[in-house]
Amino acid sequence: MNARFCFVVVAAFLLAGCATGPKYGEIAPSFGKLSPDKARIYVYRASALGAAVQPQVKLNGETIGTAVSQGFFYVDRAPGHYEMMTSTEVDRKLSLTLDKGQTRYVRLNISLGFFVGHVYPELVEPDVGQKEIQECSYIGQQK
Amino acid sequence: MKPHWMQACACLAMTVAAGCAFDVYHLKQLPATIESGRSVRDSFQLAKEQEVALDNSYKRTLRKGTKWTYVGTVQQGDVFRTADQILTVEASNVHEAYIDVSSDKLVGFYLPVEKAYSPLSEPVDLSIGAVVPGKNQ
Repeated sequence: MNARFCFVVVAAFLLAGCATGPKYGEIAPSFGKLSPDKARIYVYRASALGAAVQPQVKLNGETIGTAVSQGFFYVDRAPGHYEMMTSTEVDRKLSLTLDKGQTRYVRLNISLGFFVGHVYPELVEPDVGQKEIQECSYIGQQK
Repeated sequence: MKPHWMQACACLAMTVAAGCAFDVYHLKQLPATIESGRSVRDSFQLAKEQEVALDNSYKRTLRKGTKWTYVGTVQQGDVFRTADQILTVEASNVHEAYIDVSSDKLVGFYLPVEKAYSPLSEPVDLSIGAVVPGKNQ
């Protein structure tokens, strides 16, 4: 009995920082079609590791969302040069370009840190991104 | 009561850690101006995959069969990009990258966002396959 209770408490604690909400496959059809003169970036965090660490995600200095475990969001932007950044005890940056009509996938990974884990953005192949994002829940972008 | 030496150690560790820069691995980046107007280089396909890494950076593989399109020229060589694979160079931060080719050798990477050039310490032979006459994109 006690072991089962402990398991439930531990599981609840671990999942507390994970995203809830509609999965990608459920909600993606409702996303607006990408404008031909824009590009889309999907940002997702597939791993549940370090779920309590949830830094903001910035694009060219503008906050666009939060790095929630097993969550995703997207933004549409004009073609050009961009820098995505997450900050914990350090800043981690990804520089990327966007072309017209392009869809890019950025995975937020976590690595060990001194006091807290470091969340860092990584550009991934579209087929990898499309596969991994399926199990993530939509958390919306920062307004 | 905790011994003073333990408290001193804890304070010292905190002080040292607070000043730590975790982004200790930097890519060597030289400012670079890309010129695309003068002449056009042919696009090409890689006949063999090629593994490559900058100093202080993770290894990357240029895949066999990827088509590389001329973007422009920097002082160190001709710059090509591909739509067939993601290419980034990574130290503490991750940078999207194009390849810089001179005399069929990969000599470094051009970082389009940073407008910078990262040289390889040793040029790498590229196995150039089909050449596709082309225009600048």
